[in-house]
Amino acid sequence: MFVVVTIVFIIVRIAPGDPAAVMLGPDATPQDVAALRTRLGLDQPLVVQYAIFFGQLLRGDLGESIFLNRPVLSALADRAEPTFFLTLFSILIAGMIAIPVGILSAYWRGSLFDQVSTTLAMLAASVPSFWLGLLLIQFFAVRLGIFPVSGYGGPGAGLGTRLMHLVLPALSLGVVSSALILRFTRASMLDVLNDDYVRTARSKGMGEMRVVMKHAFKNALIPVLTVIGLTAALLISGAVVTETVFGLPGVGSLVVSAVLRRDYPVIQGALLIVAALYVLINFLIDMLYLLVDPRVRY
Amino acid sequence: MRMREALLSGVVALVAGPALAQSGGGVINVATIGEPPTLDPMVSTADLVGIVTQHFFETLFTFDKDWKVTPLLAASMPEITDGGKVYTIKLRQGVTFHDGSDMTSEDVVASLKRWMEQASRGKQVAGNVDKVEAVDPTTVRITLKTPYAPLLALLAFNNSAAVIMPSEKMDVPMKEPVGTGPYKLKERKPDQYIQLVRNDAYKPLDGEGNGYGGARKPILDEIRFVPVPDPNTRVEGAISGQFDYVDSLPVESYDRIKNLETSKPVILKPFGWPVFVMNTKQGVMANVDARMAVRMALSMEDMLAAAFGNPEFYALDGAMYPKGYVWHTEAGVEGRYNVADPDKAKALLKKANYDNGPLRILTSRQYEFHYKMAQVAAEYLKQAGFKVDLQVVDWATLTQRRGDPALWDIYITHSPFLPEPALIGQLSESSPGWWSTPARKKAVDAFNTESDLSKRPALWAEVQKVIYDETPSIKIGDFNALSAQSPKLEGVVPAPWPYFWNVSIKK
Repeated sequence: MFVVVTIVFIIVRIAPGDPAAVMLGPDATPQDVAALRTRLGLDQPLVVQYAIFFGQLLRGDLGESIFLNRPVLSALADRAEPTFFLTLFSILIAGMIAIPVGILSAYWRGSLFDQVSTTLAMLAASVPSFWLGLLLIQFFAVRLGIFPVSGYGGPGAGLGTRLMHLVLPALSLGVVSSALILRFTRASMLDVLNDDYVRTARSKGMGEMRVVMKHAFKNALIPVLTVIGLTAALLISGAVVTETVFGLPGVGSLVVSAVLRRDYPVIQGALLIVAALYVLINFLIDMLYLLVDPRVRY
Repeated sequence: MRMREALLSGVVALVAGPALAQSGGGVINVATIGEPPTLDPMVSTADLVGIVTQHFFETLFTFDKDWKVTPLLAASMPEITDGGKVYTIKLRQGVTFHDGSDMTSEDVVASLKRWMEQASRGKQVAGNVDKVEAVDPTTVRITLKTPYAPLLALLAFNNSAAVIMPSEKMDVPMKEPVGTGPYKLKERKPDQYIQLVRNDAYKPLDGEGNGYGGARKPILDEIRFVPVPDPNTRVEGAISGQFDYVDSLPVESYDRIKNLETSKPVILKPFGWPVFVMNTKQGVMANVDARMAVRMALSMEDMLAAAFGNPEFYALDGAMYPKGYVWHTEAGVEGRYNVADPDKAKALLKKANYDNGPLRILTSRQYEFHYKMAQVAAEYLKQAGFKVDLQVVDWATLTQRRGDPALWDIYITHSPFLPEPALIGQLSESSPGWWSTPARKKAVDAFNTESDLSKRPALWAEVQKVIYDETPSIKIGDFNALSAQSPKLEGVVPAPWPYFWNVSIKK
């Protein structure tokens, strides 16, 4: 994490752009910008700024957002809900599409179903999620009027209303993410369907459903879990483009606006938390291996 | 009993008729281009900050529909004495802040001092101000060192605005936005919404609304500003009817929204002007002949067509202010606008001893029309013999780089038509571009110190002529802005900084 902290700090500071200039607007004079830089401590040498940042970090303080006038941790906590639910629903949708279709594609390898599903998976993998998002908006929000176009509900919006705002973005991300999971599921199933223990199970007279689900799929799960975990880690770090298209106030949109405004503390804090979450999710996936495969030992 | 209640309610309705008609109520959702960087209108010149904060903060003066300065928190126009050096401003009585306290001259003096210390436009004024003092609880006096005609326009502008706050709320950065406006801030959830609710204690001026002036009636119960940064999503939001007002739509979407039942287009004609700002301090553009070569090389017509497509949304116009403004003049324009003559440009480049060094044009795709104009301009400039280096960066990078004269030769920006020419940033010597010549000083100083309103347009014509003679910047043309509103909204007036007082929902 120390390396991450340092790299994040350096990348953020060497990128061109100035939060003071952004905050003061297009007609601010260079003198105004310089004065605000001084007030924000951005005129200090980088080493001094790094020491301050690191000192705060050791006390569990990610600093204060330049633009939001509030602690970075609290800004991130506010954004956690939409991002968490978006990730959850996207993974659920992706899993519900990809796992059954992947299993069936492998089972009926070479069939019309297999060819159609793998072609669709390739298409889904090639479609940018923002484009799919706009198509979904046009159809479900504009034409049918079932879901809202954007946002996360107004003041006092209940959980149900907020979740309604997540349906289209989750569908958009879920469809795109399903492509990779489907291909992994299919490939992994193809590997195990030809294994001896599957043949043995069949020869013992077990039903096909039981053979496929209990003997084949369970053994094919490890690569599938890995790819689901990686997808979840990517999504929880902020589905940047999708959140922007749908105007969702999640971690992704916070990071985007922080980058555009050069809100250094928010960029640093968000990247650190994301790095920690990435590690955590990978750790959880490793723990899941223990459950699905008794041969795995740490 | 029922009869008596019915009669009573009839009497109440008759007595309270006008008040009830005014309290039409309702909630509107306004889609904006993003989240404002701050809610302190003094510290930012960003338009979005002005759009939102003008509903809860007010200034002493504002602009009417003809862009004339008119009183808002001031009771009347100031008494100007001592050759234009002393402004005595009477304040409206009975104005209260959102925290319930009365507005007094002490609050106004403290606010103006904060403005002169914190706001870039306030600092512009501060150099000319000798003192700001409270004469009595309802009178404020500003004494200038030298006459400074743009003072009232600067006090009236909602951008880097001289808003009036309670004297005990002068924190920097601002902790709590407490103003006097027709709406007050209830809740801000960054990137989700800014919720404003009606200020029931607000006392509008008598009469009707008149531009930003006149009566500001808070008819709606709530205004919610919702950031929708993606322009395509804003278009879909207008089409679906999710938003009651959608700000700043791409002009390409006009055909999609012009015949809808859910939304109708709002066209502000003209809205503003794109401009190429030259680095007169250092590099290729430090030479006036080289700058004139750029002017002679460009086809404004092609640049505007590429940038805005539909001719309904742009106009070829070399004058700094379009017809209809008191500042409109053709001085200096003839033969120097939309010339597109590479031979003339080459001759000027030769005169300038151009050494074939790169002409660094700084632009951003955050404003797509800037980028499109830059692409067309680059081709015309290449034809004229310039070696063009088009640098496409994000807006934050551009605003930083333009502060360093070693890094660029031209940068592209735009501005709405500002009510007072002295507010145009490029006229200031300290503004990136650093235009500083004896001719500029003579023309701009004469314009800024003339307090006789009838003489100022002729002095502005002199300034425009010098701009054309020395080319510190090149105006490309006029462009219009497209927004959309629900057909149910009544009272929306197309404005560069849209406002929603005097707006109601059709029942």
